[in-house]
Amino acid sequence: MKHTLSLLFIALLVATPAFAQVDFSGEWGVRMYEDQPERVPGPELGDFLGIPINDAARLRAAAWDAGIQTLREWQCRPHSADYIWRGPSQLKISKEVDPVSREIVAFHAEWLRSVDRPVYLDGRPHPSPNAPHTWGGFSTGRWEGNMLTVTVTHLKEGYLRRNGLPRSDKATVREHWIRNGDFLTVMTVITDPVYLTEPFVRTTDYELTLNQQVPPYPCGVVQEIDRPKDQVPHFLPGSNPYMEEFATKHKIPVEATRGGAETMYPEFRSKIRR
Amino acid sequence: MRNRFAVVILMYVVSGFSRTLAQAPPTPRAQAPVDLTGYWVSIVTEDWRWRMVTPPKGDYSSLPLTPAARKAADAWDPKRDAAAGEACRAYGAAAIMRVPGRIHITWENDTTLRVDTEAGTQTRLFRFGGAAPAAEPSWQGRSAAQWQIAGGRRGAPPTGGSLRVVTTGLRPGYLRKNGVPYSANTSVTEYYNRTNEPNGDTWLVVTTIVEDPVNLNGRFVTSSHFKKAADGSIWNPTPCEAS
Repeated sequence: MKHTLSLLFIALLVATPAFAQVDFSGEWGVRMYEDQPERVPGPELGDFLGIPINDAARLRAAAWDAGIQTLREWQCRPHSADYIWRGPSQLKISKEVDPVSREIVAFHAEWLRSVDRPVYLDGRPHPSPNAPHTWGGFSTGRWEGNMLTVTVTHLKEGYLRRNGLPRSDKATVREHWIRNGDFLTVMTVITDPVYLTEPFVRTTDYELTLNQQVPPYPCGVVQEIDRPKDQVPHFLPGSNPYMEEFATKHKIPVEATRGGAETMYPEFRSKIRR
Repeated sequence: MRNRFAVVILMYVVSGFSRTLAQAPPTPRAQAPVDLTGYWVSIVTEDWRWRMVTPPKGDYSSLPLTPAARKAADAWDPKRDAAAGEACRAYGAAAIMRVPGRIHITWENDTTLRVDTEAGTQTRLFRFGGAAPAAEPSWQGRSAAQWQIAGGRRGAPPTGGSLRVVTTGLRPGYLRKNGVPYSANTSVTEYYNRTNEPNGDTWLVVTTIVEDPVNLNGRFVTSSHFKKAADGSIWNPTPCEAS
């Protein structure tokens, strides 16, 4: 018995807690000191700067007509898990704690215009590839030091930018949640075999905001525009007259505004100077 | 029997204490919970219009500026800066990590991490154990570094960590190339985190918090990401440019 007690005592001395090191729960205010014009008023048509898209993505984006947002089917469409971090919305993260082990078994992230998005930390596997895809996808997380690394699968088709740039339902997302004192930085790495030639990486910042509460966001569908039921706003290939407006307005070469992996590397600056 | 148990515990505690006394404290270099050294290239997927090209005068979108800062930005004159030997104003510590280009991180010595930048050919020195003694304000100022170690409790090895750097002693400069100012009262707090991706990519994420009571209405936070480069074969330092 005494030996057992001794071993137990020593084990307690040297054991490393398996508990999470960082608590992300709380109210977080988004800080839009990056890309504010794109994130609040909304992106301009034909602005694909710095996004590693391919021609298929460009084709889809050129066919996109903002009028599609008026369709009943689109009016209450929430931002997908990968885009919502970048949206103009405050964030609430809550934690789910196992009552026996007292370990955090899940975080839940909620924004103004989103659905509840659980991130499971209990080691459960991702569902079958044939399982339904949703706006929030299916997320599991694991600790890497003080950083929470999250894998997101099972996403419905979404968008990389709110100007028609598509992200396919075959995409997967890695997130790194990093808490630095009162600041939360989240890195998202989107891999999409359909529309991206390289992973698309963004980092977004939030600040702990103790007096914040995410309000409810009930969304109702209305008839915004009278149009035939079978009409979907769109542009046929090559017919969108607005694709170069952004370049002209901001005096940026059109080839840059078309995006692509090349545009996100520093060397591209020397090319556009020529 | 009870006494024997107490002796075992006492020996454990004493031996641990004497081990601690006998060992010299590890240097910050030896203590590093994460390897930040190497060549890194900035990937500009955010703020493209304000980083990859020089934005027009008066475009200070996204920035929490005071009226005084806006007024100063509206008076930006790059030719005047160049003539006054102030071409490096947009390459100071409060802005340099947002300027597109490569950075090279090395250990200057066991207590100082060094960051060289292609853009503007700048050098930053992150000193552990406190910043360098007060000196004339400079573009890169004086930086005090500290590891933020994850895990490592009760003698266990760290499970990771990050770097925190606080920079003061800055010469007034620009947050953006088009003359958006920061003052000599500015302090910059940065956090350096590293990630490893399944496809083999390694990323450096730098969260930068700029505080300037003269020009900013609040804490100005941005985060910048850098992809690890295989080597320095395309390292190409360039001088500061005022416009």
